[in-house]
Amino acid sequence: MHLSQNALDIKSLNLILMVVISLVFGVSPDWTESSNEACISKMTLRNFRSILSWELKNLSIVPTHYSLSYTVMSRDEDMKTVADCTNIKRSFCDLTGVWEDIHEIYLTLVEGFRGNMLLVNCTRPFMPAMDISFEPPEFEIVGFTDHINVLVKFPLVTEEGLQFDLSLIIEEESEGIVKKHEPKIKENTSGDITYVIDKLIPNTNYCVSVYLDSKDQDTVIKSPVKCTFLHPGQESEASESAKIGGIIILFLMAAFLTSTIVILKRIGYICLRNNFPKALNFHNFSVWIPKLPPCEAMDLVEVISINRKKKVWDYSYDDESDSDNETSPRTSGVGYTMHGLTGRPLSQASASSATSVESQSTDPDSSDQPDLPEAHAELPVIPAHSPWQLEHISEPYERRESPLQDPFSEDSSSTEQSGDRIIFNVDLNSVLMRVPNDDDNNDNDSDNSEEDPLMLLSLPEETVDPEDPHTMESSLLLASGEGTQPTCPSSSSECVWPEDAPSDKSDAVESDADFGDGYVMR
Amino acid sequence: MCTKPDMIPKCLWLIVLVGLCITGNLSLDCNLLNVHLRRVTLQNLRLLSSMSNSFPRECLKENKDFELPQEILSHTQTVKRGLREAFYEVSIQAFHIFSQYTFEPTWKLKHLNQIQMGLDKQLEYLEQCLQEEENENADVKEAAMKYSGAQGPQVHNLELRRYFNKMHNFLKEKKYSHCAWDIVQVEIRRCIYYFYQFTALLRRK
Repeated sequence: MHLSQNALDIKSLNLILMVVISLVFGVSPDWTESSNEACISKMTLRNFRSILSWELKNLSIVPTHYSLSYTVMSRDEDMKTVADCTNIKRSFCDLTGVWEDIHEIYLTLVEGFRGNMLLVNCTRPFMPAMDISFEPPEFEIVGFTDHINVLVKFPLVTEEGLQFDLSLIIEEESEGIVKKHEPKIKENTSGDITYVIDKLIPNTNYCVSVYLDSKDQDTVIKSPVKCTFLHPGQESEASESAKIGGIIILFLMAAFLTSTIVILKRIGYICLRNNFPKALNFHNFSVWIPKLPPCEAMDLVEVISINRKKKVWDYSYDDESDSDNETSPRTSGVGYTMHGLTGRPLSQASASSATSVESQSTDPDSSDQPDLPEAHAELPVIPAHSPWQLEHISEPYERRESPLQDPFSEDSSSTEQSGDRIIFNVDLNSVLMRVPNDDDNNDNDSDNSEEDPLMLLSLPEETVDPEDPHTMESSLLLASGEGTQPTCPSSSSECVWPEDAPSDKSDAVESDADFGDGYVMR
Repeated sequence: MCTKPDMIPKCLWLIVLVGLCITGNLSLDCNLLNVHLRRVTLQNLRLLSSMSNSFPRECLKENKDFELPQEILSHTQTVKRGLREAFYEVSIQAFHIFSQYTFEPTWKLKHLNQIQMGLDKQLEYLEQCLQEEENENADVKEAAMKYSGAQGPQVHNLELRRYFNKMHNFLKEKKYSHCAWDIVQVEIRRCIYYFYQFTALLRRK
């Protein structure tokens, strides 16, 4: 009796226990829906786009096209048609960007037409926050020795629309054991994401599936399972393929470099060959220094200022005059007295030989044009065969020997080689000096003087008083590389050279040389 | 299993554990109760969704805006107790409305009974939490009510009652027609979901 009573008590306790447990843990009721609607509508999130689709229950008569409209239940508004889903042949409609609030209840109306005849209409209230189902995204897996890379594809740009609080769940299943992984995804994440399932056991088969989970929904849609076998001892496939690829690339690079070097060598771009022809062999070739042409003989010219008394013509035509030994110089139409000088250096080899030039002021009496003031000056004597160098004359004056000749001098004996002085009358206002050519100097031909290079000499503007016979004027004309030389003042006393003034020298040493038309007027 | 004499002590231990579990469940902390509250509320919402998966087009013309007092939540969301009290008022009012439903078909009645059971659970969890808070913060609450000058939960409850009275009157006016019931079901679902979102605040605080 006690045992049966105890059994009953125990049974009743078991029953109570089961009821309590069922009450505590809850039993999900049967949510199967029963509706008398002509179609079944559902809303899904596919690639993060809100898609409303419908399916007809009765397929006896199929509409040719559909139209979708909706309204908000909490507002007293008329039905609104969806522009992109009017008279469509497909049985779904993209409502991305049409519905904005997921917490509102939208009443949808799907009308099916065949021609102009309405065949079917379905109405369904939708609360996107609870009534939408989330389709899983596409994904790929790559298995390695001890881990799996899961690549989940997400759209690059997510249009603004219904915002859901979703979580990506990656399920890993192996030998009946299921593990869930929840990668953290930021709100503004776009594009594909890669998740690594690590710490896996090699030589084991793993299956992976993904789905989107919402905290407001119990039901989820899982993706098809993808499985991979993790082979043991196998380095990651990617690393192996990377190694092989690297080796191949290195080999190709080495082959490319080798072929490039061989080609360049054959072309001769590198490692030039040394078997040049003898004519191009410059190894033992000594540096050839072209022989410079011999320097032209140069002589230094010193201009000697000699003060002479101005000779005033007394209008006498005596045949004998004191200073008639000198020939009257030729005058040009403009009143200049032309003198020509020739000379030759003392030594051809000596380029620095200097020649001194003496000039004596002409006797004023012997001038052809006494009305013109004449200046007594010296002219530098230019050797015939070499460019002249006019040297700065510094005191004391140093007379040098110079075989200078006045080409216009008739008295060649007084000029040629006999001494180193040439006496001539010079108009200091315009002093022109002409360097005779070598050929001309050799020939001592005055006609060639016009071909001689000219040397313009600057003279101070000195005036000579023709009335004053004692007016002496001397100017020192020098032109050299160092510059012009100071001229002697008009006062003769200061320019008296220590050497004997060749005043006794006649002024006859005047050339009748014709300088030609090559004068530069000052 | 428990029929053998040597197994009786073990079964008793199991029953005791279950009993403790039940009693412990009744005295759970409010934070844990919020978890249960949220779960039960979600189930009720799914039931309501299944009940209103179809809506006749002709009923659309009878649709009405009952003006859910959403501004209540803007004041009460910072006060946990006010939120619980408002949710308690919504639950009990919805329970009273659904208790008047007597329509066919059977599957709808079955769903409606389950909804009522769920609402009862909600009320139970809310009562426990409110009782605990009332015992712990009795003095603080009195002082806050006296000196803050802010509207108490009683005012908010009056607004909620006014909101549900509109639905009561609408049903009476439409003579408890199918369209009126469908419209009221959708509105109650929307209201419960609105409070369901703020249960997350109860869990965090």
